Order: sequence, then structure tokens, then C-alpha cells
Amino acid sequence: MSTLTTTWHHIRRSPFQSLTAFGVMLICFLAISFFTIISSGLSSVLKYFETKPEITIFLKDGLDNNSINNIQKELSNYSNIKEIKYISKDKALELYKQQNKNNPLLTEMVTASILPASFEVQVSDPKVLEQIYENYSSKTSIVDEVIYQKDIIKSLLDWTNVMKKTGIAIASVIGVISFFTVFIIIGMKITNRKEEIKVSRLLGASTFYVKKPFLLEGIIYGGVGSFLGTILSFIVAFILRSKINLFFQPVEFITNNPMFYVTVFFTEIFVGIFLGFLASWIGAKRYIKF
Amino acid sequence: MKIKFEEVNKNYGSISALKDVNLEIEPGEFVFIVGHSGAGKSTLLKLLLNQIQPTSGTITVGDVNFAQSKKDEVEKTRQKIGVIFQDYQLIHDKSIEENIALGLDIVGYPKNEVQSKIDEVIKKANLNNRRFLFPAQLSGGELQRAALARALAIEPKIILADEPTGNLDLDNTWNLIKNLKEVNETNHTTIIMTTHNLDIVESLNKRIIKIDNGSIVFDGFAKKAKLDDSKKPTKHHKTNTNSKNS
Repeated sequence: MSTLTTTWHHIRRSPFQSLTAFGVMLICFLAISFFTIISSGLSSVLKYFETKPEITIFLKDGLDNNSINNIQKELSNYSNIKEIKYISKDKALELYKQQNKNNPLLTEMVTASILPASFEVQVSDPKVLEQIYENYSSKTSIVDEVIYQKDIIKSLLDWTNVMKKTGIAIASVIGVISFFTVFIIIGMKITNRKEEIKVSRLLGASTFYVKKPFLLEGIIYGGVGSFLGTILSFIVAFILRSKINLFFQPVEFITNNPMFYVTVFFTEIFVGIFLGFLASWIGAKRYIKF
Repeated sequence: MKIKFEEVNKNYGSISALKDVNLEIEPGEFVFIVGHSGAGKSTLLKLLLNQIQPTSGTITVGDVNFAQSKKDEVEKTRQKIGVIFQDYQLIHDKSIEENIALGLDIVGYPKNEVQSKIDEVIKKANLNNRRFLFPAQLSGGELQRAALARALAIEPKIILADEPTGNLDLDNTWNLIKNLKEVNETNHTTIIMTTHNLDIVESLNKRIIKIDNGSIVFDGFAKKAKLDDSKKPTKHHKTNTNSKNS
């Protein structure tokens, strides 16, 4: 009788215990998959903002051309400047109307005079943005406001960190619960099959021989549970992908990259198998003493 | 496989179960171990099965010294010992065929020969129409034949039978003894059997080791009267002996 057949008998003869082990592993890896996908999405959003370093300097009204040219000249002296774009009041109005063309109420009352002129500066090194911000935010006589994505990036970074930490914490708690569930179930099964183990030992079975079916059982719980959990999370992600990606446009929050899914799939299967093996190994070591 | 006990002692706390046991059993011998309950017979068998370790002394089976050899060598030697017990020790949720298959699997019997071996021992044990039944569905005699079939399937060099006739009626008792004798004579398998039934011991005229209070007090060939401490053989005993000897 092969080890696999013996293991299958163990699983089949206590179906509720086995279902509990499969279920808890499934939930564990479903949660891990979801947090991995969400973390990947947040990282994509963060990357999007980090790779588009831009600062906007809104000018005070009434500045003459000479002052505007001086500011442009001063800006161009900074290193790593990619592009400096001057947006006049008229151009600002044009852009505003374009952005709100579907809402005439918003465009009716607006004139060029109430919109400030501005400089949009793109850089290749985000560090320069900090210097420009420091310089122009103090020039209150010519500059009305300086906006750059520092706050957005910081906020996103904070959210990503919180999500990652929460994900790791929740996955760890569920992982520990899964571990102990499999450990206890294997222990119960060993106790239930005490007679069989005792007889096997009398017939000359080695310790490893009697442990083998229980180790395989743990591996099956981990492997099957993580497989189902991961596949289920992928199905949910694929169903919601278009809606979520539309919301985060132009960022692809739920990635289409097949390598991401292949990596997550195999990593989780490996972790599942390892978790199941570890729990059953410790369980077998703890309970097989006859 | 030769069995050798040298100065073997086994203590359970302050209780001395075996004291300075020196023993040699040659390959192919049929040996009875007799003695009162608690005399040390089961301890002797447990030591031989490597289920427990001696407090002092050495046990050698074949070339393998249990205390000094590697674990896998001891396990391999251990797998050459077949076992039969009074309470059969069959797994209740496995069929008779599965119980025999388990024994073969444990000793690593070639997979492609397992089925033919099962067929062979099932036929020998006359259990053909019982092979797919579970232990609870068999009579005491059938269970003991199943246990013997499982022991024989692994082609053991030694068979340890711990009170195997304890739960059997007369017919089944003598059938089992007949089977063990046949195995001993045809395969030269060493048989070590513990028993309280002195009629069996006398009828076979084999080597007897008597243990009392953890020590070997007799080792040789003897008549029942010499072994029977009570010296009061019942009518029942006499009838059995006579019927077998006749």
C-alpha cells in the first residue's frame, strides 16, 4: 500500500477535519494573494507619480514680461531640468475650458483674469523639485503658490507602507492560525490512528515510515489550500480588473503582466507546501511517541 | 539468524524485570518460553523486538548488536522478525488483505510481487473467502490465521509468538501449533513462543526456557510435570495431551 493511498484514507476517513485544514489554508492564501495584488497596485500608483516629477509655480497677477522672463531664466539654471512650460492666463483658461467642456456651468462664469499664470517645470531628478519649491515658495511678492507632488507621493508612500504592514500582519496571523490548525488536526489524526501506528511499529516500521503519511497529509493541505486560495484570488482580480483599472487610470492598478501571476502562484504554492509540511512534521514529532 | 542475550538486565524503576539473562538461540530452533504472568517473558520479547532497550547487557540478532549498530541496520534486522500476538494486533479498519499488504510494505517487499505473495499466504492460511473482510467480521481462529499469514508473508527468519493461543479454542490452538511447526521444519524459521499452555509445550518436545522472577530458571527439554509449578494437571489438560499424542 503506497504512502499516497494511506494518506488518502486518512483524509477521507475524517472528512470534517480535512475540510477544516483545507479551508483554513485556502483563506490564508486568499488573503495573502489579495494583499499581494493590492500592494502591487499601490506600488504601480506610487511609481507613476515618482516617475512624473513636476512642479507648478503659480504667479501673482500683474507681473510684467521682464519678470516672467527672469523667472524662466532662473529656472533654466537648475540642473536636471527637462522642460519649462509657461502657461499664460489665456492658456490657463483654454486648458480649464478643455478640462470642463462637458460642464458648461463651470466654464460660463470663468474668465482669464481670475486664473493665474504659471510655470510647469518637469525635471529628471525629483531632488531638484525640493530646491525649486524651497526657493519659490519664499518669493511671496511674485509667486502666489507652489504645488508639487511631494504630498501626493508622501501620502501614497504612507498608504503603501500601511497596506504592506497590514497585509503582512494579517497574513502572519492567518498563517499562524493555519499552522496550528494543521498541527492540531494532524495530532488528532495521529491519536485516532494510534492503534495502526502501534501495530506498524510492531511489524518493524521505522519512525519515518509511520510519519510519512502524516507529513504527506500536511503537504497536501498546504499545497491544495494555497493552490485554491491563489486561483480564487486571481479569478476575483480578473473579474474586477477592468473596473478597478478604470478608476486608477492611467495607472494599471491590477497588472496584466503574466510573470507577476506566475511568480505569485509558485511562491504561494511553495510557501503553502512548506507551511503544511512544517506543521505536520512538528505535529508528528510531538504526537508519535509509540 | 542467531539470537544472543549477554548479561541482559532490564529494570523498570526499582522493579527488576530481567536479571542477568544469558541466552543463545540457534537459527531454525523452536523455543518455548514459559513462566508465570509478570515473570519477564514479554519483556524478553520486547527487547528482542527492540521496542525497549536493556538497562545493561547486549542483545545480538544475526550480526547486529542492537545497542551498537546503526539505526537502519537494527530496523532491517527487526523487519526479519515476524510477530503473532494473543490479541492478533490486526488493524481494524483494514481488510485482511490490506493488513497483510501493510506488513509487506513495511519490509519493502517488491511491489510487483506483493499481490502474488498475499495470494500465497492467504491460500496457506485457508482465508480465501475472508480476504476482503475486516477483523471484526472474523472468528478468533481466523484472526489468528490472518496474523500468522501476515507474519509469514514477510518471509521472516524469526517468528515471535506472544501467547498466540491465549484466545483460541482447542482445534484452533492445535491448528496454529501445527502451522508453526510446519514453518519451522520447512523454512527453518526460528520460532520463539511464549505460552502458559504446558500441554502444547510437552507435545512438541522442543527446547523450553522457563523464566521466573526475571531470571532463567530452566533451559532445556522437559516434561510438563517438571515445569508445572502447581503439579496439579487437570483432567482437561490430560485429555488434550493424550489426544494430541495419540
